Amino acid sequence: MGNVPTKLEDDRPVRSGRSVSVSATTSGGNGGAVATRTHRASSLVGNLLTSRSRSNSGFYSANPYKRKSTKEKEKLKEKHARQLVVKYNETVDGGFLAPYGCCSIEKLDYDAKVVRSLIIDRKLAPFYTPLQDFDDSWSVNEVVKIVDGLPLHASFTPELEEFEGVPIGDLSNPDFDYLIDKTLSRREQRRMRSKIFNARLYQKRIIWQENENERFLEQKLEAKNHTGASNQYLPNDSLKYDMYKQGAECPICFLYFPEPMNVSRCCLQPICTECFIQIRRAEPHFPHDENDSDSQDENKDPNLLISEPANCPYCATPNFGVTYEPLKERRTGIQGPSPASYVHQEPVKNDESSVTGKRRGSLAAGHPQVITSDAVRPEWQVKLTKERMRLARRSANATAIHVSNQLVVPNHDSQSPRGLSISPRDVTISDSPNTWTSTNAGDIENQMIEQAIKLSLADQKEQKKRRHSAK
Amino acid sequence: MASLPKRIIKETERLVSDPVPGITAQPHEDNLRYFQVTIEGPQQSPYESGVFELELFLPDDYPMEAPKVRFLTKIYHPNIDRLGRICLDVLKTNWSPALQIRTVLLSIQALLASPNPNDPLANDVAEDWIKNEEAAIEKAREWTRLYAKPK
Repeated sequence: MGNVPTKLEDDRPVRSGRSVSVSATTSGGNGGAVATRTHRASSLVGNLLTSRSRSNSGFYSANPYKRKSTKEKEKLKEKHARQLVVKYNETVDGGFLAPYGCCSIEKLDYDAKVVRSLIIDRKLAPFYTPLQDFDDSWSVNEVVKIVDGLPLHASFTPELEEFEGVPIGDLSNPDFDYLIDKTLSRREQRRMRSKIFNARLYQKRIIWQENENERFLEQKLEAKNHTGASNQYLPNDSLKYDMYKQGAECPICFLYFPEPMNVSRCCLQPICTECFIQIRRAEPHFPHDENDSDSQDENKDPNLLISEPANCPYCATPNFGVTYEPLKERRTGIQGPSPASYVHQEPVKNDESSVTGKRRGSLAAGHPQVITSDAVRPEWQVKLTKERMRLARRSANATAIHVSNQLVVPNHDSQSPRGLSISPRDVTISDSPNTWTSTNAGDIENQMIEQAIKLSLADQKEQKKRRHSAK
Repeated sequence: MASLPKRIIKETERLVSDPVPGITAQPHEDNLRYFQVTIEGPQQSPYESGVFELELFLPDDYPMEAPKVRFLTKIYHPNIDRLGRICLDVLKTNWSPALQIRTVLLSIQALLASPNPNDPLANDVAEDWIKNEEAAIEKAREWTRLYAKPK
């Protein structure tokens, strides 16, 4: 009954089936007044709960708490995957708008729109193509040659273990319902659907990136053959050399990147953008308690669920954030001159000493220059609230079932031989079987309705608050 | 299996070229994410002159996720249980991707030098340790002699 809203839209019939079966068991086997009463009561609670969930999924399409259908979710995921494709004609200061190496979409569930615009605004270093190693003794020609050979994206593993044996069908056909085994249970079908979807999406990403790689290669070849007419999107040798001759190793992935890199706001340590966007808050969890005897999450207050901001990987300062200071003379690509027209400039002496000579101190997480881990995953608050709501609903559901069970027991008790009843519930009631009158039953019914009303009021209040804060 | 990230290759190389005193870590031939580790018991600890074998595994998400480390040699220590599992903050909540195999193994060596019975994993050992530290240390010495013989 109550746990419905966490489920997908197509779960509806299952849920109503379940609430019917609850009332069926409550009334099952006993005739008369109690049966109708329990039936009425449980359906009343059911109605309150369903109306609650209905209002949840109702209006306000911008509401992040609105339940999305499977199709909507798939669409969003595909859109996100599209933004992870590295494109040769989307460059910022010699870097790109999408990550080079990481293939797992789970690790890349950052807000792509936010990160792209941060890179374009030069507030976060672009995603550069890394070098595996760098040798100071390389000549200009060698550096240029190596950079020329770099692909847009690391090669994908064509066959991932997790997608082994998963059918993907015809990728050009957006409909893949026919791949799902209809003899499976609904839950199994849903699981299968999501597996197929993920496997298809992975293959699609490979194709999208390969198409982009091909285009990149063609352009490079063309530019090489007509040395005079350079492609406006491709960097010239001067830019390639200037970028890579002065680089540094990211202390987390150990790959070599052009400088300047992002630096941690607290301890000024470098970090590449690809590592930065993989650092995130912990998933919602209960605080770790030293003497935690009650380890069952269901019994805890959902409001105690927490999710701490990420710590700095270097100095463990909470609320990790970075700053980035772009080189003015390297401004090319989006919102700058073409990377093909780059001219090497000696950095102005005064400027350099002011940048490298005077280290800035630590900056607060709220400083306008600082980009925090939370800023690239703004969904964390919604995620936490959703998890709290899910837990609250689960415990409300448990309460409702518990109360409706109490209603049935006396009849069940009178019919079954006393000696066989062993559950503590039966025992307490059989202590005073004769005092179990209709008033008592009515009390419980009232309690139940009261509880349901409380829940729905609390929910409305919550929604109002949310709508308020959304404005 | 996906190709090995540069970070793991470089870490392995550096472990060989610049080894940590008292610690060895050898990747397995078939699985370069799986390491056979030995740690010498720190001097002036009950584990002195013992050589402890451990296994270390780098999960797919490494370095965003901590390596999995376990003692293979039997050891009497309040923060290491009978299965060899280790209670160490940097292996769990305090893991940071800036840490490395090297730093993790050093932390484990430090844990051998300073057992912490107030945050136990092996409850019975920790109890012994608090009740009668001398006897517990003697038992740890005995176990070291019995099970952690240098090969």
